Amino acid sequence: MLSIFKSIPTHMDYKGQKLAEQIFQGIILVSAVIGFVYGLIIEQFGWTVYIVLAGFAVSCVLTLPPWPMYRKSPLSWQPVLPEPNTEVVQKPQESLKKKKHK
Amino acid sequence: MNTVLSRANSLFAFSLSVMAALTFGCFITTAFKDRRVPVDLHVSKVMLKNVDDFTGPRERSDLGFVTFDVFADLQPVFDWNVKQLFLYLSAEYSTKSNALNQVVLWDKIVRRGENTKLNLKDMKSKYFFFDDGNGLRANKNITLTLSWNVVPNAGILPLVAGSGHISLPFPDTYETTKSY
Repeated sequence: MLSIFKSIPTHMDYKGQKLAEQIFQGIILVSAVIGFVYGLIIEQFGWTVYIVLAGFAVSCVLTLPPWPMYRKSPLSWQPVLPEPNTEVVQKPQESLKKKKHK
Repeated sequence: MNTVLSRANSLFAFSLSVMAALTFGCFITTAFKDRRVPVDLHVSKVMLKNVDDFTGPRERSDLGFVTFDVFADLQPVFDWNVKQLFLYLSAEYSTKSNALNQVVLWDKIVRRGENTKLNLKDMKSKYFFFDDGNGLRANKNITLTLSWNVVPNAGILPLVAGSGHISLPFPDTYETTKSY
């Protein structure tokens, strides 16, 4: 079961994380201002709450899944070095240890 | 580590903080409002009896019956930070034993969206107007006041006295119980 959940991609790159945070903060703040003014005009605080909840739902849809716009600038890793075939059997274990240190 | 759960957590926390700020704003926009409203009170009938008070002292105490009219427009009291009003009519008077007596005679709840114009005639008091002795007879200054608690969405619970009260004298003699 867990492996199914883990296979769903959720990763965003660093710029995407920043963008997602700015987007949800912007949406919620804007909906809060709109809701406050609207609730003050029609004198119903309940509508203020509803409008903020709507902003919450919209920002959930926009920023929780890793949409393609949050994955535009992936980190450029070094290409995988081809394993030299002429090594002795013991050497690959050492290289594994080094990778773990990174 | 930025995961779906950590993003959802920060989103939820931020929304809650914003909601708290909005609630405080709702309170602060109405905190300094004057919630007094003119109230027109009339008393059409006053009756006084001297009966056994089985709950208090084992002697006969004064029991008053007041029939009254209430006219008030409570619309200005309501705004977006008011859920309901708890209205109560209280009688205040002084006797020899107590400098200030307060007795609640009647109350009423007015919720949001209900009729805010009070136009009540010939109301009987809901609760007994018992004095703890014989302080009602020939008491010339018994003051009836309509006050209300404002139940808000957020913030303090103000207690407001309506402007407009009525002072009435009580009769000098007791109404005698008729026996048939």
